[in-house]
Amino acid sequence: MLLLQLLINGLQLGAIYALTAVGFSLIFGATKIFHVAHGAAFTIAAYLFWWTNAVLGLSWLLAAALAVAAAVAFGLCMERCVYRPIQRHEGAFFTVFIAAFGVQIIVQNLIGTVFGRGFVSVTTPLSHSIQVLPGLFVAPVAALAIVVAVIGFSALTNYLSRTHTGMAMRALSENPDLIRVFGLDPGRVAQYAFAIGSAIVVPGAIFTAMTAGLNPAVGAHVMLISLAATIVGGIGSLRGAAYGGLLLGLAENLALWRLDPQWSEAVTFVVLFLFIIFRPAGFFGRPHAAK
Amino acid sequence: MWAYIINLAVLISINAILAITLNFILGYAGIFSIAHALFFGVGAYTATFFAMKFAAGFLSATAAGMALAALISLALALPALRVRGEYFVAASLGLQMLAVTVFTEWKSVTGGIGGLTNIPPARLFGFAVTQPEHFLLLSLACLALIILVIRALVRSSFGRSLKAIRDDETAAWAYGKNVAVIKTTAVVVSSALAAVAGSLYAFYLSFINVESFVLDTSIQVMAMVIIGGTATLLGPVIGSVLILLLPAGLSYLPYLPVTEIGSIQQIIYGGAMVLLMIYRPGGLWGFQDTPPSRKGGAT
Repeated sequence: MLLLQLLINGLQLGAIYALTAVGFSLIFGATKIFHVAHGAAFTIAAYLFWWTNAVLGLSWLLAAALAVAAAVAFGLCMERCVYRPIQRHEGAFFTVFIAAFGVQIIVQNLIGTVFGRGFVSVTTPLSHSIQVLPGLFVAPVAALAIVVAVIGFSALTNYLSRTHTGMAMRALSENPDLIRVFGLDPGRVAQYAFAIGSAIVVPGAIFTAMTAGLNPAVGAHVMLISLAATIVGGIGSLRGAAYGGLLLGLAENLALWRLDPQWSEAVTFVVLFLFIIFRPAGFFGRPHAAK
Repeated sequence: MWAYIINLAVLISINAILAITLNFILGYAGIFSIAHALFFGVGAYTATFFAMKFAAGFLSATAAGMALAALISLALALPALRVRGEYFVAASLGLQMLAVTVFTEWKSVTGGIGGLTNIPPARLFGFAVTQPEHFLLLSLACLALIILVIRALVRSSFGRSLKAIRDDETAAWAYGKNVAVIKTTAVVVSSALAAVAGSLYAFYLSFINVESFVLDTSIQVMAMVIIGGTATLLGPVIGSVLILLLPAGLSYLPYLPVTEIGSIQQIIYGGAMVLLMIYRPGGLWGFQDTPPSRKGGAT
């Protein structure tokens, strides 16, 4: 029964991770920018939701809308004010990475200064666990997280394969110059990728606020998970990032069967390391992803 | 005031060692590691362990720390360097997180959150280094030695191979350079030398706990290198002086609440990293016309 409980918790956490990783992977796939400040978008959205919903008492719908707006604004601002000026003169992986890291540090500390460094969480009736079977407790929020993740992911894949901007986004990852030939502006398509990639962290941020709780350092953890899931799933594959996130969430929880909770990050790392050693291309990576 | 300056100078020299050794892989080899605090910590804990359990002197305790750090870095570098730069970033980030867990949980060796206290003073050639002034000499000597080692390595054919790999890994490979061996050696050397800083730190404070070896420390060392200037010998030293003088300078500003100084310091160097990357990617000391990190770790 414990195993079943852990499996359900793992699915819930994995759904949250999957959404976050997909956003990261979408941005990386389309723009080749290693957006490590993705964790900062997550932190901003989560704290804004907590502050407007739990502290100011706004309705959850309004709070969620504000969180989406903030995450999108942050993503767009990163693209416009940080990445684009850097890429104008050299655009190395390295330089972009450091700048994004700097932003991550700023956001983490600003949030710590403004909202305090302790744990905060949003309590809703949804996060109270219900005994489904004897000894098996499930909170409605778990089911909700999984459903939202599935809907979000299928909406995104539909968008990418059916709409013009979606196709342009996939094309951008293949050949930016060709996009220009087709009369599209690569910068504009990149902005779409940042907007959508940042917006899709919001459900994960809200569910984390409702379940595990937040602290300002949550961004670093999100960053590790997104990186790990993207690599485990295969760089450049959205489906891979989603499965990678799910796998990491499951691994983290199933590990509790034998290990203490402090080791959950260690489990993530071991999974990541095994993939780097044995299958650097990930689940669905293209062969050229690994050297 | 004198004691305060001595203390600051010792801490600057220890951090400068960390920054220089990180710069060796980050600036010259284009290998991006966020796990430098881990090797700092391994050096500190190992030296402490040997000093407390076996009454080891400074040299043997430091050597033990270096050996262990080299071994761990080998475990990181061997698998992670076979693949692209992004993978190494992720792997080192993961290893850093894992190390903090181990430092916190392995209570019999690391003392857990509480850390280890009453570390005996460093013994060197039969003398116990107890005076802060003497310790400053010891740490400056280590710093000078490490600068010389790094300088020699950078100017040797090994250093040229490193730079070649940084600028174009495929080309270096085509010229018959054994890329994996060269990169792995660089990581091992850098990590082993970072352990020296750890040993100095433990003997100097005679108290260590996990908080000195967390991700924030890695980032701070990275900021020192970036702000000072990657791929220069003096840049990291300048960066560490600037970053360690920052809290001292901030504490003179009357309006700032004391509890927020750490955050404000991090916000300042986070901001400095962003602005430098946009306007001056070579760092303060670096040269503008030859951006040293053109290719980064990715190929």
